[in-house]
Amino acid sequence: MPSKKKTSSAKILRVLLYLAIIVMVLVTLYPYFVMFTSALKSRAEIYAKQGTLLPIEWQWSNYVEIWKLAPLGRYFVNSIVVAGGATVIAILCGIPAAYALSRMKFKGKKFFLGLVIVSQMFAPVVLLVGIYKIMSMFHLTDTLIALVFVNAAFNQAFAIWLLRGTFQSISNEMEQAATIDGCNQVQAMIRILIPVAAPGIVTALIFVFINAWNEYTVALTLISSDILKPLTVGITVFNGYNMIEWQYLFASSLFATIPVVILFICIEKHLVGGLTSGGVKG
Amino acid sequence: MKNRKVTRSLTPYLWLLPSILLMTVFILFPIFEVFRTSVSKVSKAGIIKGFAGLDNFSKVVGSATFGMVLKNTLVWTIVVVGLSTLIGFVLALLLNNKFPGRKAARAVVVFPWATSLIIQAGVWKFIIDGDFGTLNTLLMKLGIISAPMNWTPSPAAYFAWECWVGIFVTIPFVTFCVLAGLQSIDEAFYESATVDGAGFWQKLFHITLPLVRSSLTVSTVLNIIYVFNSFPIIWTITKGDPANRTDTLVTYLYKQAFYKGRTGEAAAISVIGFLILCVCASIYMVISLRKEEQDA
Repeated sequence: MPSKKKTSSAKILRVLLYLAIIVMVLVTLYPYFVMFTSALKSRAEIYAKQGTLLPIEWQWSNYVEIWKLAPLGRYFVNSIVVAGGATVIAILCGIPAAYALSRMKFKGKKFFLGLVIVSQMFAPVVLLVGIYKIMSMFHLTDTLIALVFVNAAFNQAFAIWLLRGTFQSISNEMEQAATIDGCNQVQAMIRILIPVAAPGIVTALIFVFINAWNEYTVALTLISSDILKPLTVGITVFNGYNMIEWQYLFASSLFATIPVVILFICIEKHLVGGLTSGGVKG
Repeated sequence: MKNRKVTRSLTPYLWLLPSILLMTVFILFPIFEVFRTSVSKVSKAGIIKGFAGLDNFSKVVGSATFGMVLKNTLVWTIVVVGLSTLIGFVLALLLNNKFPGRKAARAVVVFPWATSLIIQAGVWKFIIDGDFGTLNTLLMKLGIISAPMNWTPSPAAYFAWECWVGIFVTIPFVTFCVLAGLQSIDEAFYESATVDGAGFWQKLFHITLPLVRSSLTVSTVLNIIYVFNSFPIIWTITKGDPANRTDTLVTYLYKQAFYKGRTGEAAAISVIGFLILCVCASIYMVISLRKEEQDA
């Protein structure tokens, strides 16, 4: 008898588990459903008194219109340049730092890690006054280079945490053997550690890329020329003061979102383990 | 020989140099500039015109809106971090079970994390709109309400929705931090606890929580910082209006700096915000580290 009772309560738990997960998945997907369906409605339908769930007429032409109404191709290229440039710089600076942090003993290691955390305590938005000033000093306001460097710097912490976590999980015996065979440290790192750490490095690359791709506040403030805007700022042209062109806003939003969501799903498995193990533990 | 020793002891710093340079120029220098500006007289054009002592601070703190903005910021941070941590934790427990479709469910959970905040905020602004918002349409089709509701009758309602969007986009980070911690727990712990007759709650409090505490600490500290400084959600939905009723420190300082030309005061707000964050984060770290020591 008791065992039977147990299995039936286990069944109820199972059902509850499923219900909870289904509810959560539906709630998470809801805004994407709204984006997708609204991007395919006509403006009249969006502003109609009687709302609709699915478009009455599927206006695939919206996806053509957005390219005529805004220089989306240009925004796209700007986003690629900013995110790509920031990623390359953040990783090129992050790899040697993470290498030193995981392979060498030296004074000031804790201090440096503390500095990395402090760098995260100031979001770019809080420092905009200072960032703006330094960019005017270098004559870099309203340039993509400014965005590249700001994004690289503010993602340095994540790059270091992820890379350090990866490097620490790899034994350094092979590298030591290589240095005995006459490699110097740089060669040992490039030939031996980096190939083994490739999955972790790719994770860091994609993570920084996505962060820089999605950045909005700094770009909003530093960029004034329309042709230099990245996608996040550029698509807000459809978000006018008097009338918001929701269907175009959502069509271009999806265009800006889908590539990074796919990238993120690819690295999801490796991401957090690296962050938590490389971050705070001294 | 001596020279060689010196170079060797310098080596680690050489490896750190690019990273230090990058952060110094683009983070430390702006931090320095913000602190300097906060104690300076600044012209409308942003040019520093001498030392002002704590004038900017007293102007900021003395204004009638500052108290409200500060209160909003604290409510925003506590509500968003608190609820997203709670929900994210429960979600991680759910997703840690084995069930068909688990991979797909995990992929879906990651969506809000990968989407630009400006885009998420835009969609939710549309969803809750009283005239043509899709939430009304959905609930009416489902038969839950019979006539369109006004979801944003007051600034407080707007602010509550902004908190909800904040929670929505913060949950995935918590979930994945906790999942990482959960996956490192040995199944044997649970099995032997079950043999000893431990129930669900006992296992939760005596095995799960202590073992994911360090993951939770990381995610909570980082979230306090990020949520406190979060700008795009409130900026997109209300811009802090009406009359600063939905402003937090960052949207308020943005307006001071770039709309009203009060750079000195904006810098003072940045400094105040940083000090508050420092205090909160260190209190949290001390408490959670002490607990860890007690448990050990």
